[in-house]
Amino acid sequence: MKLLATQQPEPQMKPTTRMIPVTTHWCRQVFLISALVGLGTTVAPGADVTPPIDSQAEALLRRMSDYLAQAQFFSVNAEIWQDIQLGSGQQVQAGRTVALQMRRPNRFHAELRSTRHNRGLFYDGESITLLNRVQNFYGRIPAPATLDEAMDAASERFGIALPLEDIIVSDPYKSAMAKIISGIHLGPVTVLGVPCEHLAFSLGKVDWQIWLEQGARPVPRKIVITYKDEEGTPEYTAIFSNWDFQTKLPDFLFNFEPPTGATKISVAEIKSQNAAHQNWGK
Amino acid sequence: MKSANLTSIRNIGVGLVALLATLPLLYAQRAQSSGRGGSASRSEPSRAPMQRSPVMVDRSTHGTIRHVDTHVVQRSGAVPHFDQHILVHHDVEVDVNRPRNWHGFVFGARRHGLWAGYSQLSVNGSPYYYDAGIYYQQMGSDYQAVYPPVGATITGLPDGAIAVDAGNLTYYYAGGAFYVQQDGGYVIVPTPIGVTVPELPPGAAQISINGSVAYQFNGVYYQPVFVNGVTQYMTFMA
Repeated sequence: MKLLATQQPEPQMKPTTRMIPVTTHWCRQVFLISALVGLGTTVAPGADVTPPIDSQAEALLRRMSDYLAQAQFFSVNAEIWQDIQLGSGQQVQAGRTVALQMRRPNRFHAELRSTRHNRGLFYDGESITLLNRVQNFYGRIPAPATLDEAMDAASERFGIALPLEDIIVSDPYKSAMAKIISGIHLGPVTVLGVPCEHLAFSLGKVDWQIWLEQGARPVPRKIVITYKDEEGTPEYTAIFSNWDFQTKLPDFLFNFEPPTGATKISVAEIKSQNAAHQNWGK
Repeated sequence: MKSANLTSIRNIGVGLVALLATLPLLYAQRAQSSGRGGSASRSEPSRAPMQRSPVMVDRSTHGTIRHVDTHVVQRSGAVPHFDQHILVHHDVEVDVNRPRNWHGFVFGARRHGLWAGYSQLSVNGSPYYYDAGIYYQQMGSDYQAVYPPVGATITGLPDGAIAVDAGNLTYYYAGGAFYVQQDGGYVIVPTPIGVTVPELPPGAAQISINGSVAYQFNGVYYQPVFVNGVTQYMTFMA
């Protein structure tokens, strides 16, 4: 009762007391809306707010990474499908297969085959050799002493990406996490009859999905890369099969011997290529 | 009452200050968004769907996130025109079968007649006949396939022409000819030297120069070279 009594406004104050709450309310609304709009305007575009990486997704990725990293050698096949945009704007898929053999720390061999192309890639700890089996051309570039360094040098100096390098790098988890800004675990999914865990990561302008085999051997069964910043958001899909961690991989698999009649040609460096771009047309 | 009025005025002031503070931000955002897709795209509606940025990203073939930012092909400028006949030179190896009429070019091959739809051209006073990327000259009652004549101008590019950037120019490469856009048409220019193309001209002859393999087409040589890990051909003069 006392409280109610104290809250009773004086009669002459009535118009004012009625006005104050309304004005205050209006001001507060304007202030709040302005602040929120201002906040939204300043934060939304290019916000530096990093979405979290799901701990389950991170743990599964790390488990896959540890499993591959501890393997001293392995072989695997992959079927690759990638979106290609024709001049008309129509999007089609081109496919090829990759047969990959890797032995740590410095041996790598891949054969890439499609209907019209057939290429070999050899790394023996000293050089990387490219072989065009259709036209029987090969080219060789010097390479650092470890596979990780060789991959980086090949990519940065010569524009060559070793196939499936995200899984052959010595620490796939560390390599991936250097780019990933968010990730989620989407749960169990079957890939070609194999029960897997589906993980989805984002690198911002690129999305990366990976399906990891359930059970004691958490190897990748499928990878999809979506290039969101390219026209048509093309995708690169790799479907893995025939994982083999048992068959020994001797040196001769990684040492390149030119086929009969093969011709050596040069390998263009990205820098010299760019320099050529600067001079062209002048 | 006085106190209440002061509170009211203070609240209004704070609200207005906050509102005023956000106005430039709101304006900037609106201006930015209209710049992205507003007036610029409205002024060139036909180009909008296929417009390329000056820097062409091209890395999807490589399939890596480790080097996701490495494989970016820097292009010298926006490709000025895109239509269904033009392919972008991707610097990568893809396996899509796209046979074109000019792939069947054989220098000196004769035919008794021309298909419907051929064009008659005059290049430096000489008559030529053009059909889907191949040029002919009359030999008696026959028509003989000849090398693409420099100076020939056509209204539309041959199907499957490949856009090749070099310096500040964009060439369109088809059937061994390099076209540039000019006055609403496409004119054949002398083969630029030092340009890399993803495929040889049709019928290019393999030769050996100083023990190295090369190819010859219409007086120009093409040297095979690995670019971004795949075989391409760089033009050079012997």
